[in-house]
Amino acid sequence: MTQTEPVTAQIRMWWQRVEIKRIVWIWLGITVVLAIFALIVPARVMGSPASPTMRAVESTMTIFSVAAAPVMALVLSVAVYSLTGWRSRGSEPPIGDGPPIRGSGRVTATWMVVSSVLTMFVLIWGLGEMQSLSAEASAPNAMVVNVTGQQWVWTFSYPQNGNVESDQLYLPVNRPVVFHVTSKDVIHSFWVVEMGIKVDANPGEVTKTGVVPDTLGTFVVRCAELCGLLHAHMETQAHVVSSTDFAAWITAQESRAS
Amino acid sequence: MRRLNVVTAVAGGLGLALPGWAIARHFLEENDFGPDQVTVITMVCWAIGFMTGIGAFNGPIGWLRGHDLTPEDELFLAGKDQGIRRYFRFTTDHKVVGIQYLALTMVLFGVGGTMAMLIRTNLISPNSNFLSPQEYNAIVGLHGLIMIIATIIMVTGPFGNFIMPMMIGARDMAFPRLNALSLWLIVAAVPVLLSATFLGGIPTGWVGYAPLADQAPPGMDAYMMTIIIFAISSAVAGANITTTVLTMRARGMTWNRTPIFVYGVVASVGLAIPAFPMFMASQVMLGLDRTMGGRFYVASGGGSPWLYANLFWLMGHPEVYVILIPAMAALMELTAVFSRKPLFSFNTAVLGIVGISVLSVMVWAHHMYASGWAPNLNGAFMLTTEMISIPTGMLFLVILGTIWRGRIWTRLPMMATYAMLWNFIIGGITGLYLSDVPLDYALHGSMFVTAHFHYTLMGAGLTGAIGALAFWFPKMTGRMLNERFGFISFWLVQIGFNVTFIGMFAVGLAGQPRRVFTYNNLLATGNFVSTIGAYAIGIGMLFLMYAVISSWRHGSLAPSNPWGSKTLEWTVPNPIPLENFTVLPVVTSDAYGYGEEPFEPIEGPTRRDELEPAHVGSAADEQSTEGARP
Repeated sequence: MTQTEPVTAQIRMWWQRVEIKRIVWIWLGITVVLAIFALIVPARVMGSPASPTMRAVESTMTIFSVAAAPVMALVLSVAVYSLTGWRSRGSEPPIGDGPPIRGSGRVTATWMVVSSVLTMFVLIWGLGEMQSLSAEASAPNAMVVNVTGQQWVWTFSYPQNGNVESDQLYLPVNRPVVFHVTSKDVIHSFWVVEMGIKVDANPGEVTKTGVVPDTLGTFVVRCAELCGLLHAHMETQAHVVSSTDFAAWITAQESRAS
Repeated sequence: MRRLNVVTAVAGGLGLALPGWAIARHFLEENDFGPDQVTVITMVCWAIGFMTGIGAFNGPIGWLRGHDLTPEDELFLAGKDQGIRRYFRFTTDHKVVGIQYLALTMVLFGVGGTMAMLIRTNLISPNSNFLSPQEYNAIVGLHGLIMIIATIIMVTGPFGNFIMPMMIGARDMAFPRLNALSLWLIVAAVPVLLSATFLGGIPTGWVGYAPLADQAPPGMDAYMMTIIIFAISSAVAGANITTTVLTMRARGMTWNRTPIFVYGVVASVGLAIPAFPMFMASQVMLGLDRTMGGRFYVASGGGSPWLYANLFWLMGHPEVYVILIPAMAALMELTAVFSRKPLFSFNTAVLGIVGISVLSVMVWAHHMYASGWAPNLNGAFMLTTEMISIPTGMLFLVILGTIWRGRIWTRLPMMATYAMLWNFIIGGITGLYLSDVPLDYALHGSMFVTAHFHYTLMGAGLTGAIGALAFWFPKMTGRMLNERFGFISFWLVQIGFNVTFIGMFAVGLAGQPRRVFTYNNLLATGNFVSTIGAYAIGIGMLFLMYAVISSWRHGSLAPSNPWGSKTLEWTVPNPIPLENFTVLPVVTSDAYGYGEEPFEPIEGPTRRDELEPAHVGSAADEQSTEGARP
């Protein structure tokens, strides 16, 4: 104990120590910067949503990012301060050892409680969101669309509308739709990017996902599971149109088929 | 026996593989599954021939004939007085095996990294056409599998073999011949894996999902055989390392005096023991599908692709912790040394490692949220997955607590700890997004996932391995690592890494899927930035490779304990004698007593002329060894 000040010699309370104050300031600064970043950037990069599902996804992204900001800032603030305040400069070995702190029950307990609470928050948030989204997609008046993946095209058929088939997806706006997804060969993954839904297309199985498209426009349908040579080109369009336009499209397709 | 080396091994492998190929071709060519049967038979012949040629079967064959090895034979096997040639033999000395693993890891990183450069070059613009779609898909799978194998062995291979036995005060591993066997099995598997390049590649990504794998070219057989050989190797290595740690720790080294790195290595191989048989089983079934018309994964024949996905991820998730835990443990070990402080709460560190290990076998289906396999279980898997953030947070606490008020000595190894903190917090937070089921529906299969796991496996794992290399280099080679080039490499790699993968997060959020050779024009900027960052990583890695090779040959000689560490491996003199300790050490305290005893100055890096005669690190206990130092 010759070179290090004994731990018991601290008279001031721990929060009054200069280094703690500095770390708190650094932590606050980094938290603010990260929180601003979290509020603006991720949702914007994800693009404008075309369904309540995607809206929920983007708000979850933002909320988790904001919640993560103080955690990341804590790690960074201790790291940043240690590189300035506690650093032994030069390539020479440090003179003397640090204080022999072998742990602190209070710190460990606080850490465990805080990380458990954050985990609980993330979990409960996620479960609640799953619940509301599954309720939304299983509405009784939902339109069924059968989706078939094969190397490397998508086929959509509308069993409630005379089994019309199309290689582009047409959906009426604001009407719940349930996709029954399957594959003819290998595993594909049916992904409507702007609607935030995805489910694998498995050969021999039918998987389901649902959404309520609430924005008019043209969106991207992609394959999200490597499915062979031209996986990169396995892409088509999803058109969300008004219900009259949708009815007109169905009629046109039926007359073309017959 | 004394003439066998890697040349006879290759000769043996080719000597069996070529006739095997010719005979198989003659009889099986006509058949529907001919090409795959011929490929598999050739590869099995290669592996058996190679292992015979290296001398792996000499012991068992000797026993069958009623012989056992004489002491001279054993000394020969341990590589006594053979200079550089022992590195090319079936050598049982754990230090030789460690160096062999290190060289192998570097070769694999070189090959896998080159492939990463090709992938990024192809993605520099939406329609670069640098690679054809076939080549691109083949290289993506190869890059993935090579890097996974390299990262699995990168810490437990070199440092688990070279350092860990010395750290627990043992003279060698419990089963030295099994140790050599585990290494040479991987060496035998490497040509098999690389042969995929000429057999159509691995066009399935590293996951090898069936039924795409059922229709893939014979490159898939190379994948299959590599995994089967690798699984045998990891079982052998796992049995060996766990036995060594359980039975050969020095007298007095109770569990709470065992260094944390030892826990990391044991947790890693302990997870690998149940994980890899799953992978092996999945590949045996794939082999039956491909060579005999089995229908395990083919829906039309009553099989299910979900069977493969489950078996794969039962291995696949523990496997990421097989990679991560020993790297984190190595960083904890060196953080105590470079902060000049005891590890903050050793028990928390152990609990964190155990907690991660236990939870990691219960989370596999979070890779399958969107697969449709069991949507009703998604909530349960979300729970287990998110719980892993608690023990992971404990490891962060240990490292931050150890840094807290330390005397931070920012040499190259310690810089790796700081880089890991930055990278792993990003990797961890993005992992939390992916654990959330609705968010995962939006992000699964996109570049966001690719960026996330590179942040964990490369940003935390590989950075940890580089820190471990910089830390233990003086002990492994007897020379100091060139820090100037080390630092140049460090900054190039870390900045390049963050540029590459932050760009990749962005394009992933914007909707770019994984494993595509072309993409929407709107994503061009993010991809261009990623590619430039990747080139910086590549150049940085070349600097590191240069630093390692040149320091190994010409570096300044290292004193036996350049960092003033208290673990046992540093009490062994340089160069390390054959069985490490002439008198086995006795341990009376743990290795983290910094600041708890009168201060002694650390010997700085010494030049050859200043080097004092090596003292024998065999004192009765650790403390008195420390005390004996001038």
